[in-house]
Amino acid sequence: MVKISRNIVTTQLQLFLLAASLLFIFKIFFGSSDSVYLRIILDLLIAASIFFLLIALIRFENSRTTAPLSLIMNIGILSAIMFFIITFSDYLMPNIFDNINLKLKNPGLVYDIVSVFYVLVFIGFVSYFLLTLRHFFFLNQGRNIRIYFNTMLVFFILASLSGNFFQAESVSFLSSTFFIVSVLLMVFNSIRISWIAFLSKKEKIYLLLLSFVITTLFIVNINNSSGDNIHSQMLNAFSPSLKQFNVIVMVYGSIYFLILFFTTLFHLPTAEAFDRKAQEVTSLQYFSKLITEVLDFNDLAETVTDIAQKLSGSKATWIIWKNGAKQNSLAARNIGFVESDKVTNQILERISFENLTSTRTFNLKEKISEGSTSNSLSVVSVSPIKTRGETQGILVAAKGSGQIFTQDDLNAMETFSDYASVAIENSRLLEESIEKERLEKELDVAREIQRKILPLQVPRYPNLQVASVFIPAFEVGGDYYDFFKISETKLGFVIADVSGKGISAAFIMAEVKGIFESLSKTIERPKEILIKANEILKEALDNKTFVSAAYGYFDLAEKKLVFSRAGHCPLFLLRGGDSKQIKPSGLGLGLSETDYFEKTLEEYSIDLKENDTIVLYTDGVTEAKNELLEDFGDKLFLEALQSNINLTAEELSNKIIKEITVFSSGHEQYDDITLVIFKWQQ
Amino acid sequence: MAEFSTSVRENGDISIINLKGFLDAHTAPTLENNFTQLINDSKFKIVVNFEDLAYISSAGLGVFMAYIESIRDNKGDIKLTNMSDKVFNIFDLLGFPLLYEIYKNEDEALKKFSGS
Repeated sequence: MVKISRNIVTTQLQLFLLAASLLFIFKIFFGSSDSVYLRIILDLLIAASIFFLLIALIRFENSRTTAPLSLIMNIGILSAIMFFIITFSDYLMPNIFDNINLKLKNPGLVYDIVSVFYVLVFIGFVSYFLLTLRHFFFLNQGRNIRIYFNTMLVFFILASLSGNFFQAESVSFLSSTFFIVSVLLMVFNSIRISWIAFLSKKEKIYLLLLSFVITTLFIVNINNSSGDNIHSQMLNAFSPSLKQFNVIVMVYGSIYFLILFFTTLFHLPTAEAFDRKAQEVTSLQYFSKLITEVLDFNDLAETVTDIAQKLSGSKATWIIWKNGAKQNSLAARNIGFVESDKVTNQILERISFENLTSTRTFNLKEKISEGSTSNSLSVVSVSPIKTRGETQGILVAAKGSGQIFTQDDLNAMETFSDYASVAIENSRLLEESIEKERLEKELDVAREIQRKILPLQVPRYPNLQVASVFIPAFEVGGDYYDFFKISETKLGFVIADVSGKGISAAFIMAEVKGIFESLSKTIERPKEILIKANEILKEALDNKTFVSAAYGYFDLAEKKLVFSRAGHCPLFLLRGGDSKQIKPSGLGLGLSETDYFEKTLEEYSIDLKENDTIVLYTDGVTEAKNELLEDFGDKLFLEALQSNINLTAEELSNKIIKEITVFSSGHEQYDDITLVIFKWQQ
Repeated sequence: MAEFSTSVRENGDISIINLKGFLDAHTAPTLENNFTQLINDSKFKIVVNFEDLAYISSAGLGVFMAYIESIRDNKGDIKLTNMSDKVFNIFDLLGFPLLYEIYKNEDEALKKFSGS
């Protein structure tokens, strides 16, 4: 695209140069002739030069975007140069021509060359002025504006030519008529200047000065061009039409810039308000984008205070965020945390989170000097940031003494804090769902660990039926059980429950497994094993985590069960029609020092009889809940065991689990369920 | 999740924490904050009233373990009162009666503090 437009520009420039060269040759051969036809040809050549240069400039102009202000600056510079050329030509040209007349044989030729160049320079000036004014004109939007502009140009040309060709008394009125119509069209085309509305106040002041200077320069230049000086003489001698056209374009320029000057002047009082509104619109657009883009809470808070500061024109902004029972300052902008805390304290003396429902403003009792600046903060506006319908934060904007929050400021802050609330709520919800996903992944890992830790199958012994059932809860509950083949006639077992849930409980389970696996290989007595396990775990666990456990072994040769209980659920012994809950004393592992643990720990021994059923479980069994939040409990558990006592261990465990499942069908399983059943059959 | 709340009262130099609802891994931080606050304020004589507590999980029990050492190091104690049978049973299984003084009602616990 750029390349193509460059090519077009080059073509137009070539045409301009061709026309200019023809002009040059024409002037040298025919000089200043009085023939009407030659004058017409000359004017046509001038018109062609201006036309092609103008087209080239327009094409070039369209290929890039230039700010109106820099174009105006260019005009200013050019009109200043023009002023100097016109002024100096008055002093320099006569000297130069005098020298030429003295030294050269053919002064007419040199004079022609100089005048052609001089004229070309002015063709350049005029084309550029016309181009820029056209550019400004087309900044206005409206119907048929092209027609208005072209009509005006036609009258420019008519006015220029008529002065040259209709000099007779009878038709001289035509020239002035065309001129007057041109001026009317200039005024008409200049009155609607809308583009300055979008400039900032600073730019408007700049524009005001610039347009004043340019108007003055144009008027001075018109005056100089129409007078009886060298410049005027040179142009007139070359072509009166060109001189007239030059003057008309300058008149257009001075009218445009005069109107621009007054329009800017009238816009100036509202410039600040307009600036503010423009800022608000951009900020709100920016912020609605933020709602969908910024997701990190801290980034969001920074952006909120940044925009709030611009929006309200405040010196400093920050957010007071409620964090449990405390409040802290977030994302302080243009103020230190020490100063912002001082102001925060004053604010919280006046208002509370609960009763702040809309934006308010008040003066600070005690002014806070902020940083190195001498101006101290004296007035604040506070807006609520709500999540879930509750005020969770306060957006504070502070201004220095002598400044006030206008109703517009407060309205803007009110709207803005609503936006901020939505954005913050969004980011919080997202954070929550990410956290939830992370937690679920973590729980997958925990369940996997637990699955690998628990025994794959139960051991087989000739006279002892062994059955176990384990049902994990969604949040891994930390249940652990295991069997240890101590010898051909001895079977060790452990059942344990780690306090807490999830991945941390799963890791502790793994540790507990390691401890019991190694201890059971070297130590036989349950009491000693638990004492050792307590010693290790007291060291390893933090002081709020503990493990309940029961460890024991069956001696098949001696027909004996020996076990100790460290804070775990009791053991059930079902013998004949009777049932017995066996609960020897013992503290949970990791709760107390070795001495005290040892002192309070008992060991219990049972001589086994035919069909003795021994049941171990974790609290997930007895604390399984129904929809009324009632526990399954010891009583139902025992009843279920007793009424199915004739089943094998395997069948019995399945039956019990079925009963628990039926009981708790209306309630989500909250804890792991572990059930281990031994049945002694000689 | 189940609801849990606490309230703290002063009785002379003794602080009484009332528990209400379900104390488990999710609600334990509320009670932890109470203990931290009391320890920061150098209030080491603490009675915990379980009258309105419906349920306590192992993680809930852990809260008491977490602070008992520092409180006893400062010549204070945590005494537990007004437990329902169900809650007492959970404490009992783990052997807590061996580690903590558990009383039927607040008065007994308060007397015990002023007596010692």
